[in-house]
Amino acid sequence: MRQAVRNYLVFLWRCGRLAFVGDWRYYAWMGMLSVFCLLGLNAYARQFAYGLVVTGMSDEVSWGVYIANFTFLVGVAAAAVMMVIPVYIYKNEELHDLVIFGELLAVAAILMCLAFVTVDLGRPDRFWHLIPVIGQLNFPASMLSWDVIVLNGYLLLNVHICGYLLYCRYRGRTPAKWFYIPFVFIAIVWAVSIHTVTAFLYVGLGGRPFWNSAIVGPRFLASAFTAGPALIILAMQVVRRVTASAPASDAWRSSGQTTWPVANSRPATPADLELLCRHLPELASVSPEVRLAVLAGAIVLGAKTGDVFLRQGEVENTAFFVLHGRVVVKREEGGRLRVTRSLGPGEQFGEISALAGTPRTATAIAEEPALVLRLPAEALRKLMAAPKMNKVIRSRMSERLLITDRALMTLRSIVQVSMLINVFLLANEVFKEFYSGNLHVASSKYLFLGLHGHHALVPWIWTAIAFNLAAMVLLVLPVSRSLKWLNVTCVLCIVGIWIEKGMGLVIPGFIPTPLGEMVEYRPSLNETLVCFGIWAFGLLCYTIFLRMSVPILQGRLSKANEGQPEIGTQAPAGA
Amino acid sequence: MPPPTSNPSTPNGPAPDGLSRRSFLRNSALFASGLAALAASLAPLRHLNDFPSVEQFLQKYYKELTPEEMAKVLKRIEDEVEREYGLRPHVRDLKPMNGVEFVYALNLTRCIGCRKCVHACVAENNQSRTPEIQYIRVVRLPHGSLDLEKAEHSYNPELVPEKGYFYMPVQCQQCKNPPCVKVCPVHATWQDADGITVIDYNWCIGCRYCAAACPYWARHFNFTGPSIPKERLNLNMAYLGNRPRRQGVMEKCHFCVQRTRAGRYPACLEVCPVGARKFGNILDPESEVSYILRTKRVFIQLKEELGTSPRFFYYFDV
Repeated sequence: MRQAVRNYLVFLWRCGRLAFVGDWRYYAWMGMLSVFCLLGLNAYARQFAYGLVVTGMSDEVSWGVYIANFTFLVGVAAAAVMMVIPVYIYKNEELHDLVIFGELLAVAAILMCLAFVTVDLGRPDRFWHLIPVIGQLNFPASMLSWDVIVLNGYLLLNVHICGYLLYCRYRGRTPAKWFYIPFVFIAIVWAVSIHTVTAFLYVGLGGRPFWNSAIVGPRFLASAFTAGPALIILAMQVVRRVTASAPASDAWRSSGQTTWPVANSRPATPADLELLCRHLPELASVSPEVRLAVLAGAIVLGAKTGDVFLRQGEVENTAFFVLHGRVVVKREEGGRLRVTRSLGPGEQFGEISALAGTPRTATAIAEEPALVLRLPAEALRKLMAAPKMNKVIRSRMSERLLITDRALMTLRSIVQVSMLINVFLLANEVFKEFYSGNLHVASSKYLFLGLHGHHALVPWIWTAIAFNLAAMVLLVLPVSRSLKWLNVTCVLCIVGIWIEKGMGLVIPGFIPTPLGEMVEYRPSLNETLVCFGIWAFGLLCYTIFLRMSVPILQGRLSKANEGQPEIGTQAPAGA
Repeated sequence: MPPPTSNPSTPNGPAPDGLSRRSFLRNSALFASGLAALAASLAPLRHLNDFPSVEQFLQKYYKELTPEEMAKVLKRIEDEVEREYGLRPHVRDLKPMNGVEFVYALNLTRCIGCRKCVHACVAENNQSRTPEIQYIRVVRLPHGSLDLEKAEHSYNPELVPEKGYFYMPVQCQQCKNPPCVKVCPVHATWQDADGITVIDYNWCIGCRYCAAACPYWARHFNFTGPSIPKERLNLNMAYLGNRPRRQGVMEKCHFCVQRTRAGRYPACLEVCPVGARKFGNILDPESEVSYILRTKRVFIQLKEELGTSPRFFYYFDV
């Protein structure tokens, strides 16, 4: 028990250390975010001292950008489920590692949500009144009390799932299904519930006809499932760009002229296994008979710099272990080549496609003159029959950290369908409001056309509509299959939906007031700084989460390499 | 974010002395400048005008206070007011009377829109003068229409009554089915047995969800600490009524509990120069409001279609 706690603390300590090391770009990014956080904190300290009077809110428009951002971010958090469903229900392996990134994004988004509601409180010192048992949570009557429960529950669920899966990967263990799969399914339902409950916050108010519409809930879900995956598409490309930052050698350039297979090859001998054993001590646990059996069909390749061991896209069932020298793994992503990792003696590559019989997901090239052991898939399976070998090979299946273009395209189709539904639902809402033309159309008139000479929101909502429509058209056209256009589309989706859901839904609900008074809202500078601060805080959290989880998923941070020089302290690779 | 200072459990063995000292100094400098930046960003907290005391922070929910605890709280509030305004108030915790349900009736035929009720209310209920908080909003409507979207909020009360218009004061409607009570996440507002919806100003967290829920724009928020001229302070106070509120909490019309639960009329009624306002116990068949609701052919509840069922009725001389 004490050992387990100690192991876990070492894990946390090593993860925590990672947050503080990186290359200059990492420091610059984190430094910039920290500055924004502090500016936001400063603005919030001012608000805390003087009250919400320093915001642009008033008795007439009593919620503003804080609640607008909150609403948007609940959607982002809920959208993580769109990654989970294909993986766990439809067994889509392409998205497997993206799930963890998606859930970490959900955690960061929920943290931002909690920050946004906290800064919106007039008496944050009385937050404890919301805690069940010691406070007076008005459950189930108040939708806000539901929100308190579902948001915190969702946070715990996601922290548990990601934390458990990452720790298992770190330990090189296979996660116990009963310990996370039930939570995954709860989280799927829960994700829908957090956004529905947030929609009900508005829908449940009979005195605000603009919100009191059954379509708000479905609209929230549709827009969330558009903006959330769009955000993940962008975030994942950033992740894959920065994680593939190992210094590229000239190997690739010369590889154009190399031949396949590597010319210099010979059958493997027991001495080769001894050599491997020096770098891979777990091999010692394999019995001599098995070792002998493994040697049948094993080949040792002597490669010169630039020789190619395997190519992306080929189907071929052999796995490789580096005996000597270095091998670099490169992957073609979005028409560009990226170095995903660089391997030294004792490390393996090609094992996933060998075991699964799938096409190679990357190309492996000798970075310097190298000696590499090539095994047929059956031989690898024999080795993995030994529990220790199984563990180490599985934990190092670093090729699983793949953000393939196909995964991004799967997300694209989610965004595509959601955006179509979102625009359709918005059109429904607009039709109902304007065609019937009853007295309750005032807020919609104010939003879309301006009312009684007040039209602060008109340019915003039309920008949102233009962005959403442009994004919808781009998503339907094949042009958004190219990453460049997909990125443009994602930005349009995110901005369009942020406006539509934030400024376009929260603010006009208050205008005109229930007594027919027209008072407009404009966020103050202080309020804006607080918002920037919270966004910076969320990005800071997400960066740290990725900084910790990427090396774990790549197998660069594991129990196996405890005690060795920490990554990041010597390798320039960094998130 | 500054990195932690040198790590004794680093497994790669101790670095050469000079290097570790340099990195220690660098890390310490980073750490110190980080702390300094944090402190600088928190500097505005020096202007905090309402830092809760321990007793305030830990004060229990109104309905859970024992009579002894309540007595202590009332004394503490009296002390607080005295410290702030230099005058000692009398703060009571007035409970609803048995067999009483309060109802308000307002005669729209008589109301001339003079707004005297607004100002009487401000004076009686110790409302903030800057920023201005008023429980009653009197609007001018064009002859014949009750559509509030045609309401004029900024008419000139010097010129009333004007031809072609009528005036409608709106305040908390003391709903039988109050949306504000339903949405409050912490039970800080509730409907008492006499029908008055009250607020525990020491329990409200200031989320303003009730303000969003209220169809009558009756709930008003203290966006900053209230300012009340010392010489205008009404010293007859009630815990759930007109004691001075604090920054960041909600307040609204409570039918002057400090008066009505002690057998007096609300301040707005007493000041009305045309007798448009009637108030009383609907459970008493002899009361004026019972008589009005029994005999008037038409009376309306504002936004009746929302199902809030107000205890505030508008009637006409017909």
